[in-house]
Amino acid sequence: MKLFLNLTFFAKSPFEKLALGIVFFIILISILGDFIVPYDPTQIDFRGKLQPPSLEHPLGQDGAGRDVLSRVLSGARLTVLSTFTVIFVVLVIGCTIGIFSAFAGGWIDNILMRIADIWLGFPPLILALGFAAALGASLEAAIWALIFSWWPNYARLSRMITLDILSKPFIAGAEVLGVPLWRKVTFYVLPNAFDVLIIQVALDVSAVMLSISGLSFIGVGAQIPAPEWGSMIADGRAHMSTAWWVVVFPGLAIFFSALSFNVVGDALRRELDPLLRRV
Amino acid sequence: MHYFFQRFVFSLLSLFILTLITFLLSQVVPGDPAIVAAGPNAGAEKIELLRSEMGLDKPLTQQFLIYVGKLAQGDLGKSWFTHQPILEDLIRELPPSLELVIIAMVINLMISLPLGLWSARYNDTRFDSSVRLFAMIGAGLPIFWTALILQNVIGGELQLLPIAGRLSFEYRTFEGYTGFFLLDGLILGRLDVFFDALKHLILPAFSLSLLFTAVGLRITRTAMISEFQKDYVLLARTKAASEPRIMFKHVFPNGAPPSLTVFGMQFGWMLGATVLVEEIYGRPGIGRYAVKAVTQSDIHAVVAVVLVVGVVFLLANLVVDLLLYVLNPRGRMDK
Repeated sequence: MKLFLNLTFFAKSPFEKLALGIVFFIILISILGDFIVPYDPTQIDFRGKLQPPSLEHPLGQDGAGRDVLSRVLSGARLTVLSTFTVIFVVLVIGCTIGIFSAFAGGWIDNILMRIADIWLGFPPLILALGFAAALGASLEAAIWALIFSWWPNYARLSRMITLDILSKPFIAGAEVLGVPLWRKVTFYVLPNAFDVLIIQVALDVSAVMLSISGLSFIGVGAQIPAPEWGSMIADGRAHMSTAWWVVVFPGLAIFFSALSFNVVGDALRRELDPLLRRV
Repeated sequence: MHYFFQRFVFSLLSLFILTLITFLLSQVVPGDPAIVAAGPNAGAEKIELLRSEMGLDKPLTQQFLIYVGKLAQGDLGKSWFTHQPILEDLIRELPPSLELVIIAMVINLMISLPLGLWSARYNDTRFDSSVRLFAMIGAGLPIFWTALILQNVIGGELQLLPIAGRLSFEYRTFEGYTGFFLLDGLILGRLDVFFDALKHLILPAFSLSLLFTAVGLRITRTAMISEFQKDYVLLARTKAASEPRIMFKHVFPNGAPPSLTVFGMQFGWMLGATVLVEEIYGRPGIGRYAVKAVTQSDIHAVVAVVLVVGVVFLLANLVVDLLLYVLNPRGRMDK
């Protein structure tokens, strides 16, 4: 819970502070994106087709004359929001299964964790591809697909934390006092699990983001006029040798977001992880 | 022996869950498969006939058993679009992908293991922080974007390496026995073919491996750092053992096993990630096959790819675990 007292305490080096700044900036853009874009991101302008970066269009124009800057900005919303949707849903589902499994114990725990173990191993991208194929290609399908392949991470983690907490003396005390189950979960387990979960979230953001844009790139995620970063790169591929800006800028957007979230996650882990500190 | 048995049962269980997943995947196709298969002009009778032919009128559990039975006979179904048995397609597409993944894995190991060991030895020096920076950057680069940029800059602008394909134009009539051109080149004594195929592999394999190298490097480094802190290293130092001896005779063999497990898992993940690379470099393979199947909503072909990648993944893990068991006697005690 230390996190809420000072949002920036963990960023020690200038590099980490910069990364944290970029993370805040990206979240801000994904909220404000559609209000601050200079042009309509899906507006086609054939006279401006593949124009290089200029004063009016700082990042150039794509194959249909759409403004790349506007598309990158408003793409932050699509990419970042879908990433957070995946993580949030996976967090809820995974933790429910994990905490349930830890409390249930015995064969239920055994079976659930075996399934999670096996599921966890399968290449997430190819599993997501399977789900996307079954559901039909769209951003929603890609989101569902990733949720489907990502939940075991959080089930495993939250089960581990819960078991750790359940072995503590204060739980034995609560047992004696007759504290009901729901109160044990909300008052004892969740607050104690918060730190470890937030680290995992920060580290997973980049992986989920790369997967979403990857799925969009191969055509099973967001579909073309939508300004998703991955599908923008797919769209610009054909023009790459003559108009590098169409491919380079969305890629840089993905790269800097993923990198910054990774740096922040690493710093968080260094400062917060009790398991890491024990070693 | 007990461990082998346990490990084998776990693999079988995983295989069962994998087939369950792929079966359910092929069930959730939007619309009635019988109507889709019968085509738009089919009458009600034909649809009914197809339904019983495809076993769709039977209960789900029975359908699953039929599905497993077909799999056991190597019947993966027919592709809706090419009308070819999917198994034949996959047998043709798998070797180029495996070739790509193996080379990517070699690159991964050649960078991860030595750099991980050295940066653990020189922990907290400038060398170590630049290795960590490299790992950070690698973990943030989208595979498909790196592939496009490398293809355009190194292949296109600088013309140092071929842009696409598996072999150059002059070898277009080359045919091998195995489908692995590197292996075929060696078997047939055609070193020119071998090096040509290798040149075509460098860019795609490097783009594919970068993300995995970043992860492998970090894990190796962490494992080696904790190994360097152990007492036996201190003992070896007090006995004035040479630094190379400590690194290669003591620390490396002891610290490598945990990273080996990760590399085993990465093999399957890389095979999955070929969907991002193969199409860009115009290479045949199951990744490109899967992407094509998805865009044509050829669900059975996609599901078959999921199954095959899953099986390769399970095999790779099994091999690594058994290898560790043989190499590392200490692991046997814990089990």
